[in-house]
Amino acid sequence: MDIFLEALLNIIDPVTLTYMVIGVGAGLMAGSIPGFTIAMAIVLTLPFTFSMPPAQGLATMISVLVGGLSGGLMSGILTGIPGTPSSVATTFDGFPMARAGEPGLALGIGVWSSFCGGIISAILLVLFAPQLAMVGLEFQPWDFFMLVMFALTVTASLAGEHLVKGLIAGAAGLFIRTVGEDDAVGVGRFDFGSDYLLTGFDFIAVLIGLFAFSQLLSDLRNPVTARNALSDRKQVKVKIEHRRAIGILFRNWTVVIRSALIGMFTGILPGAGGSIANILAYDQAKKAAKDDSKFGKGDPRGIIAPEASNNAVEGGALTPLMALGIPGDITAAIMLGALLMHDIVPGPTFIKDEPALAYSIYIAFFLASFIMIGMQSGVLRVFVLVTRIKTYILATVILTFATIGVFALHNSIEDIWTLFFFGILGFIMRQFGFPLAPMILGVVLGNIAELNLARALAIDSDPMLFFLRPWSLFFAIIAIFSMVFPIYQKHRDTGSLLERFFSPLVLLSISLPLFMMGGLLRTTLAFAAIAVSSFVMWRRFGKTKKG
Amino acid sequence: MSFNRDSLVALCLILASGGLMLASFEIREPDYGVLSPAAWPRIIIIIIGGLSVIYLIQSFSTPQKDISPVPKKTLKEFVLYWRNVIAVFSIFALYLLALPYLGMLVGNILFSFILLTVLGGWNAILTHLVIALGASGGMWILFTHVLEVFLPRGSLTGF
Repeated sequence: MDIFLEALLNIIDPVTLTYMVIGVGAGLMAGSIPGFTIAMAIVLTLPFTFSMPPAQGLATMISVLVGGLSGGLMSGILTGIPGTPSSVATTFDGFPMARAGEPGLALGIGVWSSFCGGIISAILLVLFAPQLAMVGLEFQPWDFFMLVMFALTVTASLAGEHLVKGLIAGAAGLFIRTVGEDDAVGVGRFDFGSDYLLTGFDFIAVLIGLFAFSQLLSDLRNPVTARNALSDRKQVKVKIEHRRAIGILFRNWTVVIRSALIGMFTGILPGAGGSIANILAYDQAKKAAKDDSKFGKGDPRGIIAPEASNNAVEGGALTPLMALGIPGDITAAIMLGALLMHDIVPGPTFIKDEPALAYSIYIAFFLASFIMIGMQSGVLRVFVLVTRIKTYILATVILTFATIGVFALHNSIEDIWTLFFFGILGFIMRQFGFPLAPMILGVVLGNIAELNLARALAIDSDPMLFFLRPWSLFFAIIAIFSMVFPIYQKHRDTGSLLERFFSPLVLLSISLPLFMMGGLLRTTLAFAAIAVSSFVMWRRFGKTKKG
Repeated sequence: MSFNRDSLVALCLILASGGLMLASFEIREPDYGVLSPAAWPRIIIIIIGGLSVIYLIQSFSTPQKDISPVPKKTLKEFVLYWRNVIAVFSIFALYLLALPYLGMLVGNILFSFILLTVLGGWNAILTHLVIALGASGGMWILFTHVLEVFLPRGSLTGF
């Protein structure tokens, strides 16, 4: 109870609350501007939090995150252009509803769905993170190493047909972290005699360069669109209809809960974020509807599902971060960066060792959702003003801000050079179709992977242990299947052998490490996996024979 | 089977992997520690090299229509197409080189003013000046006085 009070006092401190309000406002604005992603907003917030105590810094970043997740709906509903990829599906019904004369109701449904999604996922985060951390206590260095590999392969697999490019990007991210002095023995690597390279790249400058600088360059590439404003609307007179929206949400509570659960689960998967969750939730809401004829024409369920799911994603993404030290998506990876910046290394013992900080994260998550509700109406007016600013002006101001922010990290001009080089690299990668998410995850997790590899080999030099220990084998198996997944997706609805046997093979394969783990629950799960797999194979094999 | 933009990128990656592998032999091997400091980077380089070979093979088998074509342009057209990006790179590089002499405040005002004018044109030069002064000055005040971050002073300007 004392720890909870300590955490509560950390968050309700007037300075922290002020930062949270500014953070939510900034997040709402960032989320509402098409082309300005939430990750970019979070990464630009990072240098600000450097001088703050950890709880205050994280609360500010969580506020930007919660605001950003909710901000995308304003642009999507009012202009038809989603502010972030997380709110693409919101435009399917939000924009038609707004055009049909109900923009206030559409915004109300979106805002309250976001709120409910955020609160549900915050509750699940509080419940699940400690449980997952208990599982994480079983992990040894072999398992952590394989978990990082799994996180990278699954993120790369989200690149779909560009899986190889995704894997190259992930490996390149790991490589970037090897430049400079080796953490274990202090030997310089790939420094080529340069002091700048010997100190290594500051990974926050790398993240800002890769993500923010390269994005700004992409936005500015076209001289014509660079001189255009995002919207030519002079003003928007919309009053958010809270009461009617809450009534609709109550009537569709199953959609809210199902979508929040979809968001939470998607968030837990490394690399899968709101951009996937909102489409999945929309699709499920449509499939589950008795009458789906109004979907795409302004059906409230078409707004509830994506907005509840995209806000729930972050609760999911923070769960593996707090429990295992492995981020669930790019924004959580940047949060991991924030923790590392304060010399806090999240892992299975994080909640136990730093309970006040863990509770502060929970409380900040809840509180930010309430602040978001309070600020939506006010920010709506500012949103209209911001969308009238020309792209090149916005980009130049953001770039100047990023430059000072990066310098402020270590008072080092070299870090601005890092920002510049990685901005160029990120831009080139975007042009050649390389996804940036695996690279960012590689940069963030590079040291963790190497450290655990060294620890594992120090305990036992047998490399086969990476495939013989239950948890590492489990992660190795799902890493392999995650790499095959894009090929499976390509063969869907073709009746191929891969399509028929992919899912049963996954179940059959993971039953082996589950058996090796022992215990009643995991053995039962292993038997269940074999039973389901056999049943599916029998049915599909039967079909193949008949066919 | 034809050589395309992806093939070129894959070849560059293979060459870079080879170069980095050679550079990894320059890493000093200490007598202590279980994992050699060069081991982990070498594993990664081998993975990148292997994946780049797959990428190269894939690039040959990808139909031409699936690859965004390299714009066949003259140098002038190329520069015109990428002019904003080239402008940002060049102005930013100059800004970084001049930063020790101009300092963060003057450097940022000049950088943002020049960049705004190059990207937005000379018609709104006064607006650009106001934005450059307001944004850079505002951020300088925020960082130096509110967040108490020391920002570099220029050897020529003194602030």
